[in-house]
Amino acid sequence: MKNTNKIFIALIAAVLAIPFAALSQDSTKKELVLSVNYYMNSNKAIYVIANAKTKVAKKFTPVSGINISLFLDNDSSLIGKLTTDKDGLAKAIIPPSLKAAWDLSPKHSFKAVSEASKEFDATDAEASITKSRISVDTLADADARTVIAKVESFDGANWVPVKDVEMKLGVSRSAGAVLSAGDEATYTTDSTGTATAEFKKANLPGDEKGNIVLTAKVEENEALGNLIAEKIVPWGTAVKSDNSFFDQRTLWSTRFRTPFWLLFMAYSIVLGVWGTIIYLVIQIIKIKRIGTKGGTVLS
Amino acid sequence: MENLNRLSSEQITKDLLPQKFGRRGLIWTGILAAICLVGLFAYYRQLKYGLVVTHMRDYASWGIYISNFVFFVAISLVGSLITAIFRLTNVHWATPLTRIAEIIAVSAIVFASLIIIVDMGRPERFLNLLIHGRIQSPIMWDVIVISTYFCISLLLLYMPLLPDLKILLQFKEKSGKWLNKLYRFQGSFWKGTAEQFKISERGITILCVTIIPVAFSIHTVTSWLFATTYRPGWDSTNFGAYFISGAFLVGAGGVVVAMYVFRKYYHLEKYITELHFDRMGKLVVMLSLLYLYFNINEFMTPVFKMKKSEASHLTDLFTGDFAFMFWAAIIGGLIIPIIVLLFKKGRRPLPMFIIGVMVVIGAWFKRYLIVTPTLLNPFLPMQEVPASYHVYFPSWEEWAIAMGSLAGCLLVITFFARIYPIIPIQETITEQNEKH
Repeated sequence: MKNTNKIFIALIAAVLAIPFAALSQDSTKKELVLSVNYYMNSNKAIYVIANAKTKVAKKFTPVSGINISLFLDNDSSLIGKLTTDKDGLAKAIIPPSLKAAWDLSPKHSFKAVSEASKEFDATDAEASITKSRISVDTLADADARTVIAKVESFDGANWVPVKDVEMKLGVSRSAGAVLSAGDEATYTTDSTGTATAEFKKANLPGDEKGNIVLTAKVEENEALGNLIAEKIVPWGTAVKSDNSFFDQRTLWSTRFRTPFWLLFMAYSIVLGVWGTIIYLVIQIIKIKRIGTKGGTVLS
Repeated sequence: MENLNRLSSEQITKDLLPQKFGRRGLIWTGILAAICLVGLFAYYRQLKYGLVVTHMRDYASWGIYISNFVFFVAISLVGSLITAIFRLTNVHWATPLTRIAEIIAVSAIVFASLIIIVDMGRPERFLNLLIHGRIQSPIMWDVIVISTYFCISLLLLYMPLLPDLKILLQFKEKSGKWLNKLYRFQGSFWKGTAEQFKISERGITILCVTIIPVAFSIHTVTSWLFATTYRPGWDSTNFGAYFISGAFLVGAGGVVVAMYVFRKYYHLEKYITELHFDRMGKLVVMLSLLYLYFNINEFMTPVFKMKKSEASHLTDLFTGDFAFMFWAAIIGGLIIPIIVLLFKKGRRPLPMFIIGVMVVIGAWFKRYLIVTPTLLNPFLPMQEVPASYHVYFPSWEEWAIAMGSLAGCLLVITFFARIYPIIPIQETITEQNEKH
């Protein structure tokens, strides 16, 4: 009877513990920091990127595998359902089905909604932008070369210049970096929507024809989002890649360009040793022949 | 072999003929076969799902498989030490150990080749090495030298076996139908004529001369697989000698273990005497001291300089995550054997067996320590990679395959001992006749 009581009390305790266990599980969920950003590349490619991260040991760490729904303006205009990658990013291009909604207004908002998971609660993030465009051009005379970028936004009827837009203006480098054209790290548009930088980077290595890519890049602007424009100009130094060593016989060349000394050494050793092995196999065959012929048997 | 004084040729033959497995033999074989089967199942999973079933990732891209490969290559060197070097220097006391050493060499080199194919993930890509291989690559040198060493070791196992095959064929009833067929196929042509002996003796001498540089090459080239890459712990000019000295030690340790087991199981006390253990003990001490010397060379100078790029690797070994394993391998696999075997009592069969086991296990972990800590301490810091990339501990599949290969190697040795005389019969009789 005592045992039955103990089992009963244990069961009651277990049942009562369930809600607490559930609560404690909830309280261990980490906070997901979600953001959404608008991108326009060369006034053509338009896309939205949602970014999911969380704080681990006081540092933001990307969160992969989060299911996110992206909306344009309202919850009925779905841009796409995505899952964040290893960098915590989910990228979507605005689909043709939303063209009418896109053309309808000069201002738009984007909303990212994440699904709840074992580790994180559901959360959302929003961003609003005004339709805009960016261009980059050059002015060159005998004394100086100048890079000019212009930013305009759409007011519903006309494109109007946007002032006080901060941007990077310079030469495109690897991994999306921009080497500033002049001495300033960034440039700001004036009342005509124009930012101007004197090009001071002489002798930059370009391609075989000396071409370099000039870039105007607006990053995370609250009203405009992320804009980028590029222009190829022959302002660099022509760099012809030196492939002459491809014909040399080196330890790091292809197998058809093995150094002669190595070929000689390797094949001499291989032939020497394998010659010996073949000789020994012949000796075994010889022993076999003698055995089949017969001879003086040693005791 | 002083105990052989009163033994007739018939008695020697009777004592040394291969014996059927007893109960213990069957249990031993069964256990090894079971471990091999688990290893095969794990390999099937690796083939099915890919190398993702292992815990090797971008940084620790060489793990337990490569450690095992280096271990197998190392232990295989014993063939050249016991058989070739001793034979050429007229060291006759080692005659009963030559076949044990050679079979260890052959089975180890077979499994070294297999484990490297396992590490490739896609076995059919091995063909690419032959089709697209570059002779400039140390990997190609390794492929060439391993296959060469295998062939020479096989010949060195086979040629001295010919006279014994003739003896085995005289005991048809004892051997059974299938074994007789095998013996006939391999050696029915050996009649023991003077000419056959002459050719055979000359062939064995040529093999002994050839196998020494090839054996040195095989392990030097294996060391170059590491030393020709620019990484902390591997960027060393000492590596060839360091690997070879370690290989001779583990090989000698392996022979000591095998000597004890065969002696006890097949009652070979008259042939593998305490004198053999005593001399092998002295040899192990000498090889341990040599390996210790190269270890000091390998670690002393980098520790003295403590270059920033090498510091984390060295700290990991001496006081960090690998410290326990490192000091256990050095103390258990080197220092204790030297101390114990310096005393005569330590060179008796049982202590020698225990020391042999310690040397072999220590050597296995030493190979793991050569491979893994270096990969986890690259010159460029690991950044923006999953936390799991910072550590390496083999998955169960890796353990199963590695243990399966070790069991496979032991299984080959076991079957060899079942089929062939583990001590050369003819040579033992001849040596006894020459003495008296």
